[in-house]
Amino acid sequence: MLKKLLKKVYSKKPNVPEKSSTEDILRKEIQLDGNLEQTLGFFKEIYSYPDNQDFVIRNIHINGMSKKAALIYIWTITDVTLIDQHILTPLIRNNSTSSKIEDIVSIQSVDTKNVIKDILPEINKGSAALIIEGDPQAYLFSVTNFEGRGVEKSENETVVKGPKEAFTEKSSTNISLIRKKIKNENLVVESLTITERSKNDLFIIYEKDLANEKLVENVRERVNSLQVDAIQNLSLLEQHIEERKFSIFPTVLYTERPDRAASFIEDGYIVLIMDNSPACLVLPATFWSFYHSSEDHYLRFHYGNFTRLLRIIALFITLFTSAIYVGVVTYHAEMIPPDLLLAIAATRERVPFPAAIEVIIMELAFELIREAGLRVPSPIGPTIGIVGALILGQAAVQANIVSPIVVIVVALGGLSSFAVGDISMNFSIRLTRFLFLLVASLFGIYGMAALFTFGIFYLVSLKSFGVPYLAPLTPKYVSSGDTIFRRVLQYEMYRPGYVKPKDIKKK
Amino acid sequence: MEQSKGKIGIKEFIALTILMTGTKLADDTPAIIYEELQNAGWIAPLIVGALSIIPIALLIRVVTSYQDKGLIQVIDHLFGRFIGFLIIFILWGISFFALIIDTAIYTDIIGTMYYSRTPTIAIYALLMAVCAYGGKKGFEQIGSISWAVLPYIKVSVLIALVLSFFQGQTSYLFPILGPGEWEVIKESSLKLSIFGDFIFIFILVPFIKSTKDFNRGVWISLCIIVAEVTLAMMIYVVMFDYQSVMMLNYPYHELIRTVQLGFLTNMETFFFPFWLIASFVRFTVYMYIAAMLFGRLFKIKEFEYAIPALATLVVFVGSIPESPTQSIFEIRARLIDVSTPIYIILPLLIWIVAKFKGDLKHDKAKESI
Repeated sequence: MLKKLLKKVYSKKPNVPEKSSTEDILRKEIQLDGNLEQTLGFFKEIYSYPDNQDFVIRNIHINGMSKKAALIYIWTITDVTLIDQHILTPLIRNNSTSSKIEDIVSIQSVDTKNVIKDILPEINKGSAALIIEGDPQAYLFSVTNFEGRGVEKSENETVVKGPKEAFTEKSSTNISLIRKKIKNENLVVESLTITERSKNDLFIIYEKDLANEKLVENVRERVNSLQVDAIQNLSLLEQHIEERKFSIFPTVLYTERPDRAASFIEDGYIVLIMDNSPACLVLPATFWSFYHSSEDHYLRFHYGNFTRLLRIIALFITLFTSAIYVGVVTYHAEMIPPDLLLAIAATRERVPFPAAIEVIIMELAFELIREAGLRVPSPIGPTIGIVGALILGQAAVQANIVSPIVVIVVALGGLSSFAVGDISMNFSIRLTRFLFLLVASLFGIYGMAALFTFGIFYLVSLKSFGVPYLAPLTPKYVSSGDTIFRRVLQYEMYRPGYVKPKDIKKK
Repeated sequence: MEQSKGKIGIKEFIALTILMTGTKLADDTPAIIYEELQNAGWIAPLIVGALSIIPIALLIRVVTSYQDKGLIQVIDHLFGRFIGFLIIFILWGISFFALIIDTAIYTDIIGTMYYSRTPTIAIYALLMAVCAYGGKKGFEQIGSISWAVLPYIKVSVLIALVLSFFQGQTSYLFPILGPGEWEVIKESSLKLSIFGDFIFIFILVPFIKSTKDFNRGVWISLCIIVAEVTLAMMIYVVMFDYQSVMMLNYPYHELIRTVQLGFLTNMETFFFPFWLIASFVRFTVYMYIAAMLFGRLFKIKEFEYAIPALATLVVFVGSIPESPTQSIFEIRARLIDVSTPIYIILPLLIWIVAKFKGDLKHDKAKESI
């Protein structure tokens, strides 16, 4: 009921006068008719020539045909030398009367279109359009050249042993990075235009003979049903396609490592790539895909599992330490050995707050340092460290605002929270920690057990594209058994059954 | 808010059954048994388990011969509308009453043993809130969670038992038969319904992946539960001797208060959370079963939606008795006495009617083809 009400409030359209754009839309429906002057007129109007500085119309005379022509392109997103050497020069120098345009121009791909509406997106993507007097079609040469940075080291998912390269903001580079790892004709890269105004392209990548068709269809449907003006990048797309928008746990994996993406594809998952995102989305995602890192498998069996062990311990420390401290000090003091209890009591003696308030103050301070440290311009960075460590830690203790043991407890929890690498899971755990803190201050260990049970109920009821969140732990599926710990590589024989791959056995 | 109506596998089913019945070792069930049987109390679960084979075998024979039908549908089918309604009403009455009494006891355990200053109603409300939330999520989720938490719970119980075994005196077990063999057998069979939960498990048949899984699951979990409860009760005697065990209302909690390990002299807070999680899961299953029966009685198809209302009712009814440690203990002992005949008679009745109707023969014929 509440949902319906909210929906009603949100879907109300504000009464703002809108300008009709029917005229513009009608103009784009026009077919080319061979009248060069008129056609150029249309384009000039659409692109607001000459106000629009990077829109270029280059008038030429094709000698051989002795016809007037014009080349239209946006120079900031095209390769100008390519245009110069392989389009303009051959056209102008050409002498033979009968040869076709395709035979004159030495560009990789040439296409023809005859409705203005179809030509515009190509120009917007960086193609050059050639319009010739008396010819009712436009020739589109792909000379795209968007600027972007080169392939660099991954910064957020660093590994010691294993490939270092990361995705960049250029989708073509990203696809090539994946293709470099999977040299197989079954690797399909589907492309879709998903937004109405900005025409953002999305690439759906999967292995045709592995990925479940229903899953691919499901993704396609969900992406196609989006009615949005613009989705700039994957971080935004993620929020558009996830099932439960208010859930505290992420259900789509965001990774910047092409090797991880490739290994997911090889297991039958689906990967989404978009321009402007130095990462990819992996669907469907389970709890374990957020908990794992690619290095777990690059390290040898024992080393990899040791990091896994550390990570699960860190996860529980993050969730529980401060809550346990509050719960124990407030409700279960008898469980602490007497000497330690006396020590804690002695340090808490001069602190005027209850333990819960004390810990919440410190936790908040820690979160603030962390957030500030992230946003601060890098030259000032070290200052934050000094301010955080010295002032907030040392001074707060000396001023009797917090007791020293709370500093240890909070610092331990804060430190451990970094061991969970994935940013989304990291946030879920940090937020859940505050919930635990709250119930621990109200009900002690009882409250924590209640919240924990509640949380597990919530986790098992979550689904990502139809896949249970805790699979394959429960419900049970055929899989490589890669959950909290991993197996020896040779024993990881099966692809995860919950994504229903077409070929379950790995070789 | 679509509820998934998925089925659970054998692992989840066994885990769920063990949590549902096995958790009884950690409430006042041992106290009820020890009251009469003195130091031979630990034999009772063995006898009850052995006697339980009869009703369970009868029910398995009948219920599994209908494809995809649970106990509710089978009763409907065999007894017709009116008598069927009556039987299901009795079952619902027992399950709901047991839910109220047991949750009241657990609330009392939490209240008296750990949180003597927190208001009972707050403890009770939190307990039922979690159970209602879990029940509303659906059966598949309950199965999943049982399997996910079971290993940790059992490990914690085992550690507690092992630690206390070394602190106890094995000679307390003797004389083995306590008040005498006849007394032991008589009193144990009167307490038969401490495993009465097994009747309710047959309601869940449609949720299990196959009847074969169900069949195996029931027997495996019966064995595990008998072993586990017997072991626990034996260790209570070893630890406390029979005089004090008869006095203790909640021996498991006294046990985890008494055990120590190295420099840790008070370890109950290590075991307490696991026991809590087990209890939450246990009452979630109870809640779900009570709601299912309720849904059948009053023709509510989406019975999950009745769970929050039922949970609220449980909280209010359950907080009525004063000084619950004594009064509910008595009520619970009575409930066990009252439901024991039902536990024996109902399966027998069902089997006889099914036989009479010829449903069982028909099935056999089909199998032989």
